[in-house]
Amino acid sequence: MSSVLIKNESRLGLKLVAPAVGIIGLLVIYPILFNIYLSFFDVQLNGTKTFVGMENYTDLLGNPRYYHSIGVSVIYLIGTVIGTTVLGLAAAILMNQEFRFRNLARGLILLPYFAPVISVVFGWQFIFDPVNGIYNHVVVDVLHLTDTRENLIGNPDSALFVVIVFDIWKHFPIAYLLFLAKLQSVPKDLYEAAAIDGQNAWGRFWHVTLPELRFVIATVVLLRVIWNLNRFEDVYLLAPNVETLPIFTYYQAFAGIVDQGVAAAISVIQLLVLVGLIWLYVRKVLKW
Amino acid sequence: MMNKRSTTQSVILYTLVLALVIFCVFPFLQILSTSLKHPIDWGNPSLIPRVLHLDAYKELLGLMPAKEVDVPASVQRLLDNPALSAEKKQMLLDKFSAGGDVFPFGRYMLNTFVISFVTGICSTFLASLAAYAIARLRFPAQSLMANGVLFVYMVGGVLLMVPLYQMSVNVGLASSAAGTIFSLFLIYLIQTLPVAMYMLGNYFRTIPFSLEEAAMMDGCSRVEAFWRIIMPLSKPMLFTVFIYCFVIAWNEYLFASVFLKQYQDFQTLPLALQTLFTSKNAIWDRIMAASMLTLLPVVICFMLANKHLSGGLTDGGVKG
Repeated sequence: MSSVLIKNESRLGLKLVAPAVGIIGLLVIYPILFNIYLSFFDVQLNGTKTFVGMENYTDLLGNPRYYHSIGVSVIYLIGTVIGTTVLGLAAAILMNQEFRFRNLARGLILLPYFAPVISVVFGWQFIFDPVNGIYNHVVVDVLHLTDTRENLIGNPDSALFVVIVFDIWKHFPIAYLLFLAKLQSVPKDLYEAAAIDGQNAWGRFWHVTLPELRFVIATVVLLRVIWNLNRFEDVYLLAPNVETLPIFTYYQAFAGIVDQGVAAAISVIQLLVLVGLIWLYVRKVLKW
Repeated sequence: MMNKRSTTQSVILYTLVLALVIFCVFPFLQILSTSLKHPIDWGNPSLIPRVLHLDAYKELLGLMPAKEVDVPASVQRLLDNPALSAEKKQMLLDKFSAGGDVFPFGRYMLNTFVISFVTGICSTFLASLAAYAIARLRFPAQSLMANGVLFVYMVGGVLLMVPLYQMSVNVGLASSAAGTIFSLFLIYLIQTLPVAMYMLGNYFRTIPFSLEEAAMMDGCSRVEAFWRIIMPLSKPMLFTVFIYCFVIAWNEYLFASVFLKQYQDFQTLPLALQTLFTSKNAIWDRIMAASMLTLLPVVICFMLANKHLSGGLTDGGVKG
């Protein structure tokens, strides 16, 4: 190409990306930097700021609620990441089989992912409702496992597990899609060769499917960690008493005694962790 | 897969599939069932209502006849006084009929539709320009942008809520309803742009370059080739991306709750539903009917875009 053409092309390229990059720069990159700045101030909802230096950070590191929310987040992350990955993989293997109504079933299991959180949380709340809910009906009246009806979502400890199950339900379809896409590209003759070697279904899974999928599994795990670290709505709307890190940040920033500077400080620390994870994703996953 | 399954294998397969589908669909059935049940029927664990009860839907959609207003006798005497102006009378009446009983569902639905639609259109348009440039043209910082999009795509809303709120306070947007809605629109744009760019970029790369080349040989400029060749060929994907952005905006709660709290008239459905749930009017059938009506457009969108959605989502690395 002549240099004029190259110049024209790069000018057009810059022109085309300018609006999108401008908006992203203004509303993502700048806020990230602004957030670091805010974390050194006492910030009110109306915008007044007073410089406090490292105080927000020292306050935060001396706050037991902060550590508690980190603990809750860790349990939440472990539960949801393992759950979505395992269920996603199982569903993908199942849906990779030929059977009647397969397309219908494939469509239906994507529904939880698309449904608005706000709608489905009420369904889940009703299921666990102490008076009318089907969960208590089955546990108490049908199976007689306990004598009393319990409010699982009302108690923060049990609510954490309801939230984990809810999140697995809501997000396994994404893991499922990624696995299914990869499964469909696994060469059939690998399975045939394994069958000839006398491998049963389990052996074929262990020696063919898993090795072929290992990079996708790692990708799914990393993506789930990244996204669930930021997850707010699912947890807050289903059980606001389960205080994961994002919920704790939200309470600091917009509820009760508002302290947006502290909220900014939490976000800064969380962002550092996130940047590490994303770096790992770009370095490792994208190379695969 | 390879050889014919035995009956036992078939039974196991169908049982597993059925179990998985029930797990996925049960909460939806619960919502539908409760929305159709009469309050006396809630304790009934069966999903099928004893009597079909549509009042909740009628109420939300404004199809219920106006309720008779209960007015104490003393006030009634005041109302009968001919000296009182019609306006004053109405004010008095409103005091008794208001009480948070009216839930302007249609209005919330319209608010949500408008902001989601505008977000979807703008995001798809801007993303297709940028994605084309990143996929096809060479310019400085191109690969930085391609990777940068990925980075941005993974920064969650929680990390940005404080600075974005403070920014909109600082520039004065947060002090008016119009400004607040504009801020919210911009925020929804950044929530959707990176995903849209990523999905479209991957799709554009699958279109053979020779098609554009041929058009350019025939005298089209680069921009014309983009409009006449790439865009028409990408229609199904553009539509899918639009739906995806639309649904993200339709479902968004966090920023709506932060920005629209004080502007009740402009609230979106997720926020309004949460308010309804925590209000004294929290009646299950109403909440479930509202949930159902919030779900419905999403399900319709989903069915329209289903064909391309699965492929597009895996190509895009998938957000959520």
